[in-house]
Amino acid sequence: MPREHKEYRSKARIYVDILASIMKHGGKSRPTRVLYGANLSHDRLMKHLGQLIELGLVEEEKEDDAMIYKLTDKGRAFLIEFIKMEKFAEAFGITI
Amino acid sequence: MEFVSSFISLLVGYYALKGYKEFSIKGLFFLYLGFIILGIGTFLRVFSATYFVILLRALEPALHLRSLINLAGLIYTLTQLIAYSLFTATYFLQAKALGEHSLELGIVSAVLFPIYGLFFNPSLELIAIVMLGFITVHSFNNWALKRSSGSALVFLGFGFMFLSHLLFLFMIMEPVFLFFGQVTQLAGFLCLLAMLARVSRVHA
Repeated sequence: MPREHKEYRSKARIYVDILASIMKHGGKSRPTRVLYGANLSHDRLMKHLGQLIELGLVEEEKEDDAMIYKLTDKGRAFLIEFIKMEKFAEAFGITI
Repeated sequence: MEFVSSFISLLVGYYALKGYKEFSIKGLFFLYLGFIILGIGTFLRVFSATYFVILLRALEPALHLRSLINLAGLIYTLTQLIAYSLFTATYFLQAKALGEHSLELGIVSAVLFPIYGLFFNPSLELIAIVMLGFITVHSFNNWALKRSSGSALVFLGFGFMFLSHLLFLFMIMEPVFLFFGQVTQLAGFLCLLAMLARVSRVHA
């Protein structure tokens, strides 16, 4: 889902890019991997991850002295719902 | 047929509202408004036509009743035009950013025509055709660009709706065109329903 060229991304789109990146790595991932996957700077990624944790879409855990981020069931459901909506909007020619 | 069409229209409208509210997809706002207005308008036409049939059976048609039905027909056509304007706005904004049953048909249309004929306004129908033509061309462009089944179904949906309005226009010459128009319109809404079913089938 990350795009090759720079363009405006909505907040929901950024959330989805982060969640999709975690999902791609089996539902849990280290921030560095998410950073590349979601095409974000470290500061922005940490800010958005904090918001995703508050929303209950992601949870953080310590594994081998490193922080990892896990997709919750709510996060998985959000991601699926967004993909459905993206397909719906695209069918009408609306880009998100 | 129109009851099913209005139900599908409300369903598509609800789905667009969900996308607009939950994910703040601005482009879906006009689509939501358009389908909700179209659904309510179509439902009102079904309701008023049924009411008119019941009244016709019960008593002699009075002059004030006829004008009331004319008014209902005008409201329906206007809701249709508002809905198509909103669809046109959606595509405009987006573009800116980027034989055998003839006897049965004859009977059906003979029954339906005196009622639905009251709802018919040729000049407003022409405006609807122009707007739907624009929407169909844009949905075709979208399909040509994306080549997805969803965009193909939306193109077919609007294409059938466009065709149905053309057929409604021929109703002046031959009442059976009303029935063909209704069938085509339903086919259009069924395409949109199939698109909804497809996009809802996404799994983890």
